[in-house]
This record gives sequence, C-alpha cells and structure tokens, in this order.
Amino acid sequence: MSSSEILVTGVGIALPGVDGPADLLRAGSTAGEPEVDPAALLGKRGLRYKDRASQLALCAAADGLRAAGLLTDALTVPGSTVGVVVSSNLGNLDTVCEVADGIKELGVDGISPMGLPNASSNVVASTVAIRYGLRGPNLMVCNGATSGLDAVYWAASSLAAGRAERFLVIGVETDNRYVRGLLGLPTGQLLDGAVALVVERADAAAARGAAGSAVLGRYAREGGIDQCLDRLVPEDGAVPGTWFVPEGHRSGDRLPADVPRTDLSEVFGRASGALGVLQVAAAVSWFAAGGPDAGQRALVMSGTGQDDAVAGLLLAPAGPAA
Amino acid sequence: MTAPLLEQPGTQPQAVVGLGAVNSVGGSVDEVFDSLCAGRTGRAELRGFDRSRFRAQHAYEIDDRPDGGGDVTGRATRWLIRAVEEAARDAGLGDDLSEVPILIGTGLRELRSAELGWRDGAAFDVSELHFGTALRERFGAVRTYTFSNACSASLYALAMGSDLLAAQGAETVIVAGVDTLTESMYGLLDRVHMQPPDQVRPFDKDRKGVLMGDGAAAIVLRRADGRLGETVRGLLRSVYVNCDGFHVTAPDAEGVAQALLGAHRLAGVKSEDIDLVMLHGTGTLLNDEAEALAIGQVFGPHAGNPLMTAVKSMTGHTSGGSGLLGLIVALKSLESGRVPPTVGLREPVEEAAGFRFVRGAHAEAGLRLAQVDAFGFGGVNAVAVVERAGQ
Repeated sequence: MSSSEILVTGVGIALPGVDGPADLLRAGSTAGEPEVDPAALLGKRGLRYKDRASQLALCAAADGLRAAGLLTDALTVPGSTVGVVVSSNLGNLDTVCEVADGIKELGVDGISPMGLPNASSNVVASTVAIRYGLRGPNLMVCNGATSGLDAVYWAASSLAAGRAERFLVIGVETDNRYVRGLLGLPTGQLLDGAVALVVERADAAAARGAAGSAVLGRYAREGGIDQCLDRLVPEDGAVPGTWFVPEGHRSGDRLPADVPRTDLSEVFGRASGALGVLQVAAAVSWFAAGGPDAGQRALVMSGTGQDDAVAGLLLAPAGPAA
Repeated sequence: MTAPLLEQPGTQPQAVVGLGAVNSVGGSVDEVFDSLCAGRTGRAELRGFDRSRFRAQHAYEIDDRPDGGGDVTGRATRWLIRAVEEAARDAGLGDDLSEVPILIGTGLRELRSAELGWRDGAAFDVSELHFGTALRERFGAVRTYTFSNACSASLYALAMGSDLLAAQGAETVIVAGVDTLTESMYGLLDRVHMQPPDQVRPFDKDRKGVLMGDGAAAIVLRRADGRLGETVRGLLRSVYVNCDGFHVTAPDAEGVAQALLGAHRLAGVKSEDIDLVMLHGTGTLLNDEAEALAIGQVFGPHAGNPLMTAVKSMTGHTSGGSGLLGLIVALKSLESGRVPPTVGLREPVEEAAGFRFVRGAHAEAGLRLAQVDAFGFGGVNAVAVVERAGQ
C-alpha cells in the first residue's frame, strides 16, 4: 500500500430503513420507513435552531467518526488534522423560502433572528465542525447532480495537497414542502437523510492503526456518461465488478451487460447532492460483502445527459494493512 | 487524484494571467479599480426589494434590473459569466473553455432566484441553483464546481484550484466568485442589527453593521513556468484555509490568527514582509474586532507597517465573491502603486488604532507583497498572499 493512497476508513449513516452499512445493499425501496429522528440518536442538546439538514448531517457525522475510530468521548486526533466537506443542493432552501415568505407577510421585525446561520448554504459543514471540533478546511459543495462525488474528489485533492490528514465527507438532503414545491414533486420521492465517509491518507491511517475498507481511484467529470466511461474505463482497462449508476440510468452499453448495475435512487429516493456519497458508501459495503467479484473495482457515477455533467469515481478494495 | 503528495500546498508560486470583475462601482476590472481609487461607492437605496418590509434601506447593488420595479432571476449567473469572459479574454483564452476547470465560490448561489421562484412565481429551475449549467451553455465547460462557502467562498475556491494546478491536474484553471443579495440574508442581517446601518464603515468606532453588495470576480491561474508571450498580472504565493470550529456566525480571533500564520508559512514570508493588507473588514461589530485582534497578534510590533484598506466601504459586502475581488484589487495595487481608501472610516476601533489605514484619498506606494483576508459564517477562514509580477 502506498503512503499516498487515500482510504475510506469509516462510513456513517442516518437514513430511513438502514441500521448499518450492510443495509445499504438492500433491494427494496425505503419508502414508508420511519424517518430519521436526530433527537433520538444524538439527544436534544445542541439541536435547537439547527435546520433538518444540519441535524441529519450531525447524526451521520457522529456515526462515521465513531466507525473510523476518530470519536470516543472526544476526538482521538487533533481537530486541526480533520477537514469537512459536505455536499447538499437543497439543504437550506427551507430556511431561505420560509424567511422570504415571512418578510413579505410580516416584514423583518416578524422573522426569527435564529434563522440567520441557516440562510448561509454552508451551515451544515460548519455546524459539524463546531460540534466535533474539526478545524481543518471546511467546504460546502453545492454542485448539482454530481455534487456528492465532487465532494469526495475535493476531499481527496485536499488530502493529496497536505491540507489535512483526513476528511469527513457528508452527503445530505431533506424532503420538505419548499423543496417539493421548487422541484414540482409529490411527497415520498426525495431522500431525507445523510451519509458520511471518513477518507484518510494511508500514512495517517497507518500511524493510528486504522484499517481502510476501500481505496479511492480515478475520478472524472465529463460532458456525458459515455465520455465519463471512456475516461475511467478505457477499452484496454479492467472492467469494474459492479456499477452504481446515475439516477434512472441502467443502459450504458460501453460496459458489458453482465456488470451488475445498481440505481440507489430506486431504493432510497431521489438523492441529489447526497447521491455520490451514498454510492461510495454502498460500494464500500459491496466490497465488505465479499461476493465473487468483490476483489474487482467498483465504479460509481452521478449525473446524466440531462444534467450539466457526469462525474465518476473508481474504488478498489483495500489491500492488507501495511 | 493519483498525483504525488506535495510537501505542502502553495510551495510553487502560480501566475495570475487574467482578471475580470463587475460590481456596483464598475463593469470591468479597470473601471472597478479606478472607482475604488477615487473613493466612489456603489451605495444606493434598495432597488430590488419592497423597501417597506425592511429597517435598513440601503445596499450596494448592480443597477441592471429592467425598468418598472421588481426583481428578476438569474442576475448572479449573468455577472459570473461577464467576469469569466473578461478574465478569459485578458488571458488570451478563447470562448471554448471545455478543457478548463472553473471553480466558483459563492455564499448564496442563485438562492435569490429560488426566492423569486418559490414566493413570487417566477420561472426558476433548481438545476440553475449552481452555476455549472450556465457555464456549460456559454463556454462548453464541464469541469465546473460551485462551492458555497459563505463569505470566504472565492478564496476557498482559489485554494482548491491552486491545489489542482500544483498536482498537475490542469494546465490552467479559472477561479471565480459571485453573489447577489438574497432577501432572506439581507432581511436576517437587518433583523439582528441593533440599529439599521445606512453605510458600511469598516473598523470605525461608530459602525453599525454590514450591508450587502452585488458582484462577481474571476481570475485565470497557471503554473508560473515562464512561458513566453503571456502577461502575468501577479503571483499567487499561498492560500491557507481552516475553520474556527467555534460558532455559526461569530468569528474567533484565534482561528483567524491561525489562518494568517498559515498563509504566511506556506508563502515562506514573515508578517514584516507584508506591504499591503486587503482587509475582510465587513463593518460588523464582531468581524472587525476579531480581524484586528488577530492581525495585532500575528503582526505584533509590525502591525503598523503595511498599508491596510477595506474596499467593502465602497462595494458593500459582496459575500462569497469578496475575497477574490480583494485579491484582484491587491494585484492592481501592487502593479500600479495605487491603493484605494477605506471610505467612511473616521475613528478606528481601539484594536486597530495602530494600523496604517488608507483614508481620504488613495495612497501611492511601491509595494511587493499583499495579504488578502476572507472570513465567513461558520468560522470558515481563507487568507492568500500575492506578489507583484516581474520580481
């Protein structure tokens, strides 16, 4: 294992119908499952005035940091070595629209000042940093359909540049009347949950005796699915063992038909900025499940020809710890 | 992503080879810089909102709405495209940016359009909340990234773009910043001010708070490999980013000080080498105090050496785009020797009493190194060090 490799060393989950990482591979839809209750998971303290996206992200963050061995009663590493990247497209639309309504109806004297932090789209990333004392780079990615994979990529880029030793990467979206109204969607189609990954430099993981469950590979953001496949799976390259496909896209004839395709939005609902992070977490579970192809790479992809671009990322199973 | 690990970010200087800007004081970099040096502000009565709903009545808006009142969608996106066009033209890039990563830092994305769509029935598609959709249409760009990092967003984007160049992930990157007023942010700021401000007065004892401004800024960045025929507008020596991990809106002087030290360390400079500080200077009670304390702590006996100025006194707080605007003004100041004044600063706060603010008229000085500050809600800090070209 190269010291410059970037490993996934923890997965955290706050999703309806999912108790642990293995459930990310469930086949049936999570529609109708009870929604995530942050107060039950974290206790009520510190959740007041936090928007739903921040609360869900805090749940996934705690779970992910614990899974990676970074959080017991307190953080087990210096806070300055841990960065945060959060992806969400719809996260604070509830606050923005509610406040705009309030100003029209009541004027500024009628709105609650407690909404102020939530009017800034980066509130989720900074809320996670504040709660767990993570003082490395803190970045909010709001980049459309590919946003979750882009977030993983920028965490990896910052690790390669030496800006931190590890990043907590979170994908989160919420389902509420404002978001449904803007998207023109009925209830029950949108994900209301969060997923977290800890990605870490291999040397930093080794130094604290942590094992990785996957290795991040090549990433690309291209104009379409075929271009993205061309970049990541060249004709002479090894075919991946599984493909987590973009929402609603199972075709992709550039890969052999026997490469299994999984559309996580069929199980978890439309996941927008959370999708890429969810896909990477599911790929980690796929490696862990140890099926006949689990020694091969996993390909995850978000965005289609309907979006501004398509992003893809390859992951490999982690080798024996160095 | 498979690039070798760097010893530390920012160890190789990078060249800024194109500039673009638009805001309430000008429609191009030269117009903006000349206005700022002349002390002209973009302050005016609120144009796009129903003024009867607010206590504060002023802002620093771009006056481009159609006649007849009301507001329209997509304004931030249009300014972003103008700023990128100007920077790309300045760098000699064509209209095809399909191979050039474009990184955009913004506080509020197209949330103003979302407000108009949700509340007032304007046509708005959620795919236009981030800027990739429009940048692909205009420039064929597909490696586009919208980072929504509050008021340090464009310098955070610069850090990411700088890392991409350093890791050989691209030959050229465009880094941009953009923001417009949202009614939700303007209104919530208005709600929390003790008295409504009518002017942004950074570091003044009588400052009342912040007022927002419209604007976009863009630069083209390349590795400084001395290629021929290219006009280098300045060198990027470092960008350091961190997070206070302290409070969702209030800054922490200790986290800010760590960011200043980090930027100096990565650039290989000491505080006494800095000739000019482009202050974040928002005119809020908390920011200006924390920023002054942090500078006092890091610069120590040298805190009175560099010239300092806060251009938000003329542009208002252009939010996520403000850091990159500060960087562009810094490069123009290093190149021309002219430094814009901080308008409206009469008596500095105690923590900044020893600072060499540019006041009244613009200053003229020979300068080499500038520090650019940007701090945002949630304690997201970003500090850059830039150097005059042609050293």
